[in-house]
Amino acid sequence: MSMIHIDPLEKRWLWAIGGMLAIFWGVQIYYAAAENMHPPSNVEVIDSAKLHLSGEFAEDNLGVKKEADGSYTVTMVAARYGFYPQEIEVPAKTPVKLRIASFDVLHGVHVPFSNMNTMVVPGYVSEVHTEFQTPGSFPMICNEYCGLGHDYMYSKLHVTAGKS
Amino acid sequence: MSNMYIKTVTGMSVVVAALMMSPVFAAEHGVTTAPKGSSSNVAWTAEMVEFVAKGDKNRGGQLNQDLFCASCHGQVGIAPSANWPSLAGQRAEYTFKMLKDYKEGKRKGSHSAEIMTATSQLVSDQDMADLAQFYASFTLPPLPVGVSFDAAVGAQSKSIVTRGDGKRLVAPCQSCHVANGEGQETDTPALAGQTPDYFIKTMQEYKTGARSSDVYSRMRLIAKVLTDEEIVQMAHYYAGLTAK
Repeated sequence: MSMIHIDPLEKRWLWAIGGMLAIFWGVQIYYAAAENMHPPSNVEVIDSAKLHLSGEFAEDNLGVKKEADGSYTVTMVAARYGFYPQEIEVPAKTPVKLRIASFDVLHGVHVPFSNMNTMVVPGYVSEVHTEFQTPGSFPMICNEYCGLGHDYMYSKLHVTAGKS
Repeated sequence: MSNMYIKTVTGMSVVVAALMMSPVFAAEHGVTTAPKGSSSNVAWTAEMVEFVAKGDKNRGGQLNQDLFCASCHGQVGIAPSANWPSLAGQRAEYTFKMLKDYKEGKRKGSHSAEIMTATSQLVSDQDMADLAQFYASFTLPPLPVGVSFDAAVGAQSKSIVTRGDGKRLVAPCQSCHVANGEGQETDTPALAGQTPDYFIKTMQEYKTGARSSDVYSRMRLIAKVLTDEEIVQMAHYYAGLTAK
């Protein structure tokens, strides 16, 4: 059994790539642990074609609701080309549960300067738990290409100054 | 010509009679409040898309005569007057959805909607699919004789049509209705060649919320932030898209 010959230059690249993988993996683990960023763990199916006839995502049911424990639940629909309702308002530093479903194709939701970032896959409900830290108005941006109007697909999130 | 006139008059009488007898007419006459609950009961499941796709255009053509649709929407889907929409080349899914919405009381808000609500009580789902395929079998209409548009006015809407207005959350019209105004799947309607009067009426009804069968208010939200002037410009733009 002879050792496989590895060229010294090749060996240096293997170490470099191994090191890069370790760094990227470390960054992911750090953010997952410290900043609570993770893939949505909530697997829940829904019929996207009948979304407007479903109970939860019916038109009258969308928007922001305050729960008994002081937290907020936001129910939204992503549809080409917008998020509905178009404007929502939640307080800062308060637990918010966002439940979003797609009416048509694959969308994404990203709120800059927050950890609110999820795919919205047709046929599934995306659920994200977060707390918005900074008061102000932010765009909710679609970050999965969804069609010709994708770059116009955004709505407004107003974060008010914390608990009253 | 006189034969045509008789047909038209007879058609109108049938429509008016149907209107007077309809319980919907009695309940809704003069009342233009938005319906409660969902904007539309139509859901584009695979089965529903297939059902509409299998509509029989020949039978639809017969219904166009028998139900006197032709008296307002024309023999080949080109409306003989500016007050009624041309349906030639319209997407079948859209025509089908409108008929369903009328029948189920989801599309209201104008006198013409009341007439269509009454008329739609006479047709089955199969009739709707057949009619929808009949109109879809034609190419998009040129403007009817006597209806004019101003290309220069239309050109002023170019920026909203192609670029939208991000500040007002208005996506470009063409991102859904596509560049040549032929609409796209599933039920985004064709706009090219539509008469300016009807286009303006429709947009104003969306703007006030009188017309409310667009699921998740997607057209109402856009129309609400457009100015009357912009709506007029768009009407002329789309009227001119197929006219050469």
